[in-house]
Amino acid sequence: MRPPSNPTQAPFQFQGRRILVVDDDRLNLRILSGILRPEGYVTGEASSGERALELIPEFKPNLVLLDVMMPGIDGFETCRRIKATHGEKSPPVIFITAKSESDDVVEGLGAGGVDYLPKPFKPKEVLARIRSHLYNQILSEQQKSLVEQLSKANAAKNRFLGMAAHDLRNPLASIRGLSEFLRDGAVGPLTADQLDLIQTIHAASQSMLEMLNELLDVAAIEAGELKLHLEPTNLGDLAARCVAMVNIEAGKKRTRVEFAKPDPAVVLPADSAKMKQVIDNLLSNAVKYSPPGSTIRAFVQSGPGAGQCCFFVRDQGPGIPEGERDKLFKDFGRLSIRPTGGEKSTGLGLAICRNIVEAHHGTIAAVNLPEGGCEFRVTLPSPA
Amino acid sequence: MNFTGMILLVDDEPHIRKFVSLILKQLGHPIIVEAGNGEEAIAVYQRDDPDLVLMDVSMPRMDGIETLKALKALDPDCAVIMLTSLANRETIEQALEAGALNYIRKDTPKDEIAKALEETIGAAFDLS
Repeated sequence: MRPPSNPTQAPFQFQGRRILVVDDDRLNLRILSGILRPEGYVTGEASSGERALELIPEFKPNLVLLDVMMPGIDGFETCRRIKATHGEKSPPVIFITAKSESDDVVEGLGAGGVDYLPKPFKPKEVLARIRSHLYNQILSEQQKSLVEQLSKANAAKNRFLGMAAHDLRNPLASIRGLSEFLRDGAVGPLTADQLDLIQTIHAASQSMLEMLNELLDVAAIEAGELKLHLEPTNLGDLAARCVAMVNIEAGKKRTRVEFAKPDPAVVLPADSAKMKQVIDNLLSNAVKYSPPGSTIRAFVQSGPGAGQCCFFVRDQGPGIPEGERDKLFKDFGRLSIRPTGGEKSTGLGLAICRNIVEAHHGTIAAVNLPEGGCEFRVTLPSPA
Repeated sequence: MNFTGMILLVDDEPHIRKFVSLILKQLGHPIIVEAGNGEEAIAVYQRDDPDLVLMDVSMPRMDGIETLKALKALDPDCAVIMLTSLANRETIEQALEAGALNYIRKDTPKDEIAKALEETIGAAFDLS
C-alpha cells in the first residue's frame, strides 16, 4: 500500500473527499463552498448544529467545518454530540471562529475538534489545513487496514503452524515409540551397531517432538489460546518434583541442582501444569548453559514484596552477554552463548515462560551475578 | 492383570494402531480388532461386540466424540477409553461427559502409555 503523497503537493488524492460545512450565515457557506469545490471536494451544507447532526449519517463527510456561534445548539455542543454518536468513526471537526473568539479555541479542542479556521477566511490557509487533516485521516485509515491485514496474516501463520505441528507430532510420536520397541529388544535381540542406530533415531525423534511442542505452545499463546486453570499450588513441592526430574538429565553432565523446600510452604493460585513448564524450562536451561560438573541452586521464597513470592535459579553459565538481554524473552531469541553439552534450543522456551508468567500477572527477569553465572527470577502475586 | 477380552482399536493413522497394538500385546491383550474411522468403528463394534474400545479423538469426518456418542447410543454399557495427543481440556471434558472411562495420551513414551492403559483397564474391569 502506498502512503499518500505529501499534503503540501497537488491535492488530487483528496478529490471526491466529502466536507460538510455548517454555518448559520449563508454568505460563509457560499464562500467556503466556493473555495472547496474547485479543488474537487464534494461539499454539503447545513445551517445549524441540529441540521448537521441529521445530515452526517447520510452525507458521510470525511471532515466537518463547524461554526461555533449558531442559534440552537452551538458548535461545541454539536461537536460533542457528533463524537458521542459516532465515536471513533467521527469525521474530524474543524471549528470556524472569529478572531474575537480565539480564547474559545481551547474549549473547542476540548470538545473534540482537531483545529480551527479563523474568520475572515484566507483560501490558501483553509485548503492547507483541510489537506493536512485529510492527509492524517488517510494515513490512519491505511494504518488501520494494514494492522488488520497483518493481524489476519499472523493468525493464518499461527493456524498453519499449529496444523503443521499437530499433524507432524503423531507420526513422530509413533517413530519414537516404535524405536523404543526395537531398542528394548521386544522384537528380537540387536547387535551393538543396530542398537546405536536405533538410539539415534529415538533421540532425534525425541528432540523433534520437543521442538514441535514449543512451536505449538507459541502458536497457541499468540492465538490467545493460553487459558489458565488456577488452583492452589504449593510452589515448593512443584519445584522439588521438577528438580528431581531435571537432576536425572543433569547427572549425565555431572551437574547437580540443589533445592530446599521453603518453610513455611509457599502456596499461590496457579496453573500448576503451566507453572511446571516454566520451572522445568529454567532448570533445564541452567543445566544446559552451565559447564559440566556445575552446582546450580534453585529457591522458592515469599516476597520480595508483600503478597509476592518468587522462584529463582542461579546457574554457573557465562551469563547474558551485554546487549543481548532484550532478545532473551522473545520468540526465537537465541543468544550467542551455546549449550555446554551439545543440547538443542529452539529459542522459544523463555518466550513461552514469559507468556505463562505474565498470564499469572507475574514478572520474569534475568541478571548476571557478580560472582559469575546468571540468576533467572520469576516473581508472582501470592495473596495471603 | 487378567483382562482377556477383545479390544477394538480406532485411529485414522495406521502407525498409531501399530504402535498401540504392540503395547497392548506386550501387556498381554492379543485379541485386537482395528478400525480406521468412526463409521468403520461402529460397524466393527456391531459385528464383533468387543469388550473395550480404544479410540482416537481427532479423526476426519466423524470424530472420536461423535463416534463415542453413537456407540453409547447403540450400547450404553460399552467401555471406551479415548486416545488423545494434545489434550485440550474441553475435548476431554466432552469425552468424559459422553461416557468415556478415561483418556490416555498416545504421544508419550511407550512405557507411560502402557502404565496408563494397565491402570485404566484394571480400574474399568475391577481387576487387581
